Amino acid sequence: MITFENVDVVFPNGFQGLKGIDLTINQGEFVGIVGLSGAGKSTLIRAVNGLVPYTSGSLSVGETVVDPKSKTKLRRLRSKVGMIFQSFNLVNRISVLNNVLTGRSAYTPTWRSMLGWYRAADKELAFQCLERVGIVEKAYERASSLSGGQQQRVAIARVLAQDPEVMLADEPVAALDPPTAHRVMRDLRRIQRELGMTCIVNMHHLDLARSYADRIIGMRAGEVVFDGPVAEATDAVIEEVYQRSMTAEDVVADDVPVSVEETADATEHDPDNDDAHHDDDPAVLGSDDPGSNDPGSNNAEQARL
Amino acid sequence: MTAVAESDSSAGSPGTGVGTGSSGTGRSSTERPKQPRPSALAYLGLLGLAAAAFAFFWWSRESTDVLFLPLGGVTLWAPQNPLIGLLIMLGLLIVCWRVRIGEMAAFGALTFVIVTYWAGENIDFTLASIWERWDNLAGQLAAFFNPNWSYVFGVWDEWLVTLNMAIVATIIGCSIGLVLAMFASPVSSPNKATSQTIKALNSVIRSIPDVGWALLFVAMIGGTAYGLGPLAGVLALLMFNIGIVAKLLGETIDAASPGPIEAADSTGANLTQRNRIAVLPQVLPGFTSYSLYVFELNIRASTAIGIVGVGGIGHELNLQMNRFAWENVASILYMLIIVVLLVDLFSLWIRRRLM
Ligand SMILES: Nc1ncnc2c1ncn2[C@@H]1O[C@H](COP(=O)(O)OP(=O)(O)OP(=O)(O)O)[C@@H](O)[C@H]1O
Ligand SMILES: [Mg+2]
Repeated sequence: MITFENVDVVFPNGFQGLKGIDLTINQGEFVGIVGLSGAGKSTLIRAVNGLVPYTSGSLSVGETVVDPKSKTKLRRLRSKVGMIFQSFNLVNRISVLNNVLTGRSAYTPTWRSMLGWYRAADKELAFQCLERVGIVEKAYERASSLSGGQQQRVAIARVLAQDPEVMLADEPVAALDPPTAHRVMRDLRRIQRELGMTCIVNMHHLDLARSYADRIIGMRAGEVVFDGPVAEATDAVIEEVYQRSMTAEDVVADDVPVSVEETADATEHDPDNDDAHHDDDPAVLGSDDPGSNDPGSNNAEQARL
Repeated sequence: MTAVAESDSSAGSPGTGVGTGSSGTGRSSTERPKQPRPSALAYLGLLGLAAAAFAFFWWSRESTDVLFLPLGGVTLWAPQNPLIGLLIMLGLLIVCWRVRIGEMAAFGALTFVIVTYWAGENIDFTLASIWERWDNLAGQLAAFFNPNWSYVFGVWDEWLVTLNMAIVATIIGCSIGLVLAMFASPVSSPNKATSQTIKALNSVIRSIPDVGWALLFVAMIGGTAYGLGPLAGVLALLMFNIGIVAKLLGETIDAASPGPIEAADSTGANLTQRNRIAVLPQVLPGFTSYSLYVFELNIRASTAIGIVGVGGIGHELNLQMNRFAWENVASILYMLIIVVLLVDLFSLWIRRRLM
């Protein structure tokens, strides 16, 4: 459980990034945070693991109070709070496996990290995590040689290696094309369910949030302006969050065509989305319906290659 | 035609050109904005600067060589150097003005000429003295075309000492340099104070040249006379290497991409782990490359510092020079070129492999 009580974040330059946030996020919840650029979504997420120190109020993860002042306490907290980044943030020059093993840092003696000599049990765990995200066969390849979607899977595996209670994700799929984005989100959701983790995800596209989250939090200018289950996050409500009418861009990720026939359908019924740049992208054709969990489909397999 | 276009574009407000393109005057709609003229006032100032520099050089000149212009037997009297300097400065300003170079760039170019002139004048840099001392040089040059090859292999041991000094100093120096660089860069250091302190320390280390360190260590622990030359040499090279590696690598670390570092932080890694996991792999190619470079420098430098008494081939070189055995000196120098080239090739080969 994550509790924000009247949390403020004031940046060193005096800018107030979060204003009096009051939130309770329950164990096992999958929360999507939406809001315009600059609304404070990243700030909110980064406050949870202390990458951005909050300046007043109180913030706790489970029983642990986040204490930005104590490096030791922060490290202990972070070992239980994994984070996924928009730009994957893998170390490019080392292998996928070693990237995943970095997730074990908090449980590994410093001298072992220094030598890069991880325990066999940790290695086994890392392999299991890679299996979970479906790219175990890439274990000994350089991280930089992977595609974007695969790199984000490695990043997820790295977080899983931490055995986290909470997973934070800052626009985890914004750098990916829509079909890949859906596949990664689907995996994330599946893993989150399997492990019963709490998950907070920033999302650019409202429809990604609607498809995958249990609960949606809308932010504007550092404040929470909407908080409710997906069913309540209607277009009208979200337009209120954005304070403007929604454009094709806000929902673009949703109209991933399912097959060649449906591509034609989609363009016919939904001329608004003609500018969705991927309509004639062959990579898109035949991709799964967002949210479907069919592991046997072609694409799920392609994604693993 | 160009004159018309120019006056037009300066008179009309931006955007009018596009609409009137079809009026048949031949002015096309693809007119581009002209590069603005630099400020004439600034150029006048630069002219003043050139004049001032000329005046300074004129009054401070030591050489009174005159410029003979054989124009129909006329001899123009003028102390030549400042005058040539003035001509160059004026020519430079004219060229800059014509190609519309901005005043700051022109100022830079002018300063460059002035500083070069001033520096060359102060040390009497001229090739003339080489001609004057030609007789003296000729004998030595002859020796250089006739190196004593049998000698150079006779001092094989000294070469080995030099090579070993370079290897030991490179390994130890680069390792220490790596650690210092980690502490020096704000990206990887525990806090700002540490990084500032290490940087300051580093500046001090670098401000003493390799020969300076060599003299210092020879004075402290004794040189070749006590059989401790190589030790003093290694210590001197070591300090030299630490300075270079810590500086270059520190800057490489500054530029390491922050994403993976933040990710390592977010897993709860401590500082050492984070630096090992996320910083070191990023800078490792740079580090290897700097180490090889430092090794090359060490081969060269160990020759130079050998002269001040730290053993190795430099020491031998010094002995032969004092004996005026130019054939031997020549063979050592040739061999040095070969060795340095080989080391160069070797490190190039490794660096290729790294990329
Ligand atoms: N280190 C910082 N110092 C000062 N201001 C900051 C800092 N980091 C963020 N801000 C400001 O805080 C506000 C919220 O930033 P934040 O990164 O949380 O936005 P966001 O909602 O994640 O936007 P985006 O969707 O573009 O990522 C922005 O106005 C930003 O300029
Ligand atoms: Mg953000």
